[in-house]
Amino acid sequence: MENNDKILKIFSTVRCMNRDQLPRYLDGRLTDLEKHLLEQHLVDCDLCFDALQTLSQAKHREQYQPLSVNIQQYIRNSVRKVSTTQKVERYQRLEQKKESFLIYFWVVAAVALGAGGVYLVQHQNRFRAMNPVQQLAAADKVIEPIQTSQSQPVVQATERAAATAHAAPVADTLQRRQPVPGEVKPIPVVKKDTIKAASAPVAPKPAPQKDSVKKTPPAEQKDDKSTSPPAKKEEKSTLQPAKETPAPVAEKKETPPAPKKEKEKDDDDDKKTADVQPTGTDEFLYKAAMVYHQQGDLNEAISRYKHLSDSKSKYGELSRYQLAVCYRSKGQTGKARRMFKEVVRMNGPMKDKAQSALDSL
Amino acid sequence: MLQQLTNLSDKELISRARKLKDQEAEGVLLERYSHLMVAVCLPYLNTAPGRGADEVFPVLLQRLSNSLKTQTIHKVNEWIHYNVKAIQDKSDRNLPFFSTTESREIQQVENRIEHAAMNQKEQQQLLAQMNVVISQLPAEEKLFLTKFYLEQQPLAQLAGSKKYSIEKARQILKNAKQHMASILMKQSNEQ
Repeated sequence: MENNDKILKIFSTVRCMNRDQLPRYLDGRLTDLEKHLLEQHLVDCDLCFDALQTLSQAKHREQYQPLSVNIQQYIRNSVRKVSTTQKVERYQRLEQKKESFLIYFWVVAAVALGAGGVYLVQHQNRFRAMNPVQQLAAADKVIEPIQTSQSQPVVQATERAAATAHAAPVADTLQRRQPVPGEVKPIPVVKKDTIKAASAPVAPKPAPQKDSVKKTPPAEQKDDKSTSPPAKKEEKSTLQPAKETPAPVAEKKETPPAPKKEKEKDDDDDKKTADVQPTGTDEFLYKAAMVYHQQGDLNEAISRYKHLSDSKSKYGELSRYQLAVCYRSKGQTGKARRMFKEVVRMNGPMKDKAQSALDSL
Repeated sequence: MLQQLTNLSDKELISRARKLKDQEAEGVLLERYSHLMVAVCLPYLNTAPGRGADEVFPVLLQRLSNSLKTQTIHKVNEWIHYNVKAIQDKSDRNLPFFSTTESREIQQVENRIEHAAMNQKEQQQLLAQMNVVISQLPAEEKLFLTKFYLEQQPLAQLAGSKKYSIEKARQILKNAKQHMASILMKQSNEQ
């Protein structure tokens, strides 16, 4: 069995002699086993056998050592040089790849952006073509307040009205709360209005007041009261600035305190009007007009109500009624009568009030 | 890096040098055989007129480096020996290296034995086959194989017992091995 195993050694692979083994074999400084292994290799390897044959001569052996070291050094140096140049080349290749990748990226990005821009432009045109009505409506919403003579305060007033509309559920709490100096922004706007109100309608004001004091019987006072509920409601809904203005105070002075029963009736009416929840721009415009009305700027309020009077919603009727009240306050009874008649003809919820106001005129 | 590469086999170094274009692997491979190259080239350096080591070895190394990338190399020692001889003998300079059929047969048998080392049954079959093949060899070759491989006699002693030179004793062993390999490969091909 041992012999059998050794037969396999005939074809066993043995490495070539290394730098150390070659001179040791020549000098006979190898173990028997090591020597036998090397000889097994020598049977096959012409290179090792030729090397041994050469080095067995003394003159060649002297040359061998320095040359062997030199060639080893030469190979190492050349490899080092090549490897550094190879690294530089690899680095350059990598850099080139990166650059080319970046170029591709930016080209693709630019193309994508261009395509996106074209797509958006095309779709924008389509949108414009598809819904011009909506856009017109939206434009009207914005443009309508600007068309008035005093654009800046109107916009602010509408904003304020919108704010009050949003704050409607918490109106009571707002009313009770003391205004913080920095919090209430509409104060300067109101001041402007108050200045206007003080400058423009100062002259005509006393006359209607006097007239109303002289001419108005108790029934008319009722009417005045009845007309005031929306205004009062607005007072509640709008913030403190309304209280600062003199006009509402004047109106309050104008209308003496009514009996409790009448107040209850008025409250019922208020509830009725409050039940109909105002929505949309008409509501904002109506509230803005009410603000002017409360501040005593009747001219501005009239122009606002006129805009709204064409509306087919309930605010059309309400604004006509308020318009009539404004005319009556200004002493223009003819116009006021005409407006009240129109309200009666509309046969809406304000018909009764308009009729009673008409009777009292 | 060099330390790690020196532990790799010739095949692995060649593979690295080719696939990864690893110059260091190529350098390690050439350095492994450089002392043998020097030894083999010494007679040529002494006899050839006007050809010094500074001229011969760079040319040889460059030739080997170029050849490494293009040629199939089964045994590095054969490949180097062929190229050294090609440098010395100018007529063979441009012929590429191809391992001989005998060399390939020996290598195939070597691979087969290496593979059988893991499988005992296959190993037993191979041993029986080799015993049969040895018995078929000429008496001298059979004797030399038995003395050298089974009895582990040194080459010099074996040559001395027959009053042959070491070179002749080696040649007889080489031929015997070659005959065995060719018979084994023939048998395996017939199966």
